[in-house]
Amino acid sequence: MMETDASHSFSSDDGVYDCDSGSEGFVEDLVDDELCFASGDIPKLQFRKERSKVRWIEELGMAEVLEKKGKMWITTGISRNGKTYCSIEETLYLAEIGALDVLNVDDTPLPLSDLYAKLAEDREKYGCSWESFEVYRCLKSLGYIVGRHGVAWSMKNVKNKTNADDSVGESCSITDKGNVDDKFITDMFGNMYLGETKPIFDVFPPNSKFRKSSSGDPSFMLCRASVHPPSRQEIEDIETCSGQIPLKFYVVEHGRVSFLSFTKVDLPVLP
Amino acid sequence: MAPRWKGKTAEAKALAEPMSVIVSKLQTSLIESNAQGLLSGSAVLLEALPEQTELLYRACIGRPVITAEKKNKQWHQLSFEEALYLCSVLKCIKVAGENECAKSDEEMWHYMVAKRVGFPVLFKAYSHLRRKNWVVRAGSQYGADYVAYRYHPAFVHSEYAVLALPDEDGDDGNARLKVWSDYHCTLRLCGSVAKTLLVLHISRNGEDVVSLSSLEHYSVEERIVTRWNPEVSRENQTMIMKK
Repeated sequence: MMETDASHSFSSDDGVYDCDSGSEGFVEDLVDDELCFASGDIPKLQFRKERSKVRWIEELGMAEVLEKKGKMWITTGISRNGKTYCSIEETLYLAEIGALDVLNVDDTPLPLSDLYAKLAEDREKYGCSWESFEVYRCLKSLGYIVGRHGVAWSMKNVKNKTNADDSVGESCSITDKGNVDDKFITDMFGNMYLGETKPIFDVFPPNSKFRKSSSGDPSFMLCRASVHPPSRQEIEDIETCSGQIPLKFYVVEHGRVSFLSFTKVDLPVLP
Repeated sequence: MAPRWKGKTAEAKALAEPMSVIVSKLQTSLIESNAQGLLSGSAVLLEALPEQTELLYRACIGRPVITAEKKNKQWHQLSFEEALYLCSVLKCIKVAGENECAKSDEEMWHYMVAKRVGFPVLFKAYSHLRRKNWVVRAGSQYGADYVAYRYHPAFVHSEYAVLALPDEDGDDGNARLKVWSDYHCTLRLCGSVAKTLLVLHISRNGEDVVSLSSLEHYSVEERIVTRWNPEVSRENQTMIMKK
């Protein structure tokens, strides 16, 4: 009965540490690259000649796109009434990588420092904190397509969908896509309460065929937790609203982003 | 994470003799021999016949006590969970205290609850998994309450590190996973030993902890907690798309 097989230690088991085991992917930080920069050695991004242009509109808390250069507009910004608007995180991300010139209403340049300052303001006025921006940046830099949770990429096809989703229940803000043209702004900020455990982003996998008018369901909703890890009740409340779409939670500590999922399972009854 | 069987034939062997069959053989044998354990501190000592010794080993219940005693019978040490499971769920042993008089299940329950912090929740978790025929062993080596195996540990690596968490605030004990560093710590450890973290959320549903019988009204929710690595997932995504 006893089967002793000395070759089956953890280290010699082929395939034990392949990527689908899910939880050991973070062992990579043995050499902490962030500690390796000598001062003056901090890398800079390449200068871009092609820069798009947006105008920051304070009342909207968003930027209106004036000139589009490059492919990133396929997966950035929401379309409303033939115009494209980008959120603070989209604006800042593109500004950071040098793909964007941001102007004030009077056409004077809005420097990066002013955008940083907007995130620093209290109460997440623009619906995004520095931490959620870090999360956004982390995913975008890997090619993920990230939208504000519950805000439609475009208003095409939204009306039908809203009707179909009515059964989900009124308390669930995800169905609240807003069918009045300017209501999207309220939605964006209505979703945001300081410190509350909530979905923040809808995340789509890297996909060169992505279209705003038919984005499909996100592969997961990314939630922000309060200062504590989410309780079972909090997770369940969000799950009630999210339907079939999986949830993940992020936590940002010292600039390092971690993603966790808390998946309900039903262990099989074994023979 | 797929089960990691030890050797090519292990899975077939497990299927040939399911855990439920082994446990039910053990149950029958212990009932036939009127087995009686001895409550001793935080363990229960049980003297077993040779066939019972074999079955206890195969069911992965208890651990043998090594003695110089030259007898046919073998002493085994059972944990509280194991003893109470044999007593109150399988109803195949009796347990006596120092006066050699058998204790009722409820008396055992009171003794164990008083002796071990968080015992109601821990026992609920243990019996929940055992009832599904998972093999459950102590998890302290992995910083968990239990580890759960798909079959006998000689055949398969444990799949889950199990934490049993009371749903109700104010229940004693297991104040685990309350801060993010607890998650980082636990997940890092689980990852390095190739186990998945299984959290059992146990709710009393308003029942008190006074009696063992209230335990059946507790509910258990199973959740696995995993870290998601966006870099690795993206590579997988690209691979799927290429196919």
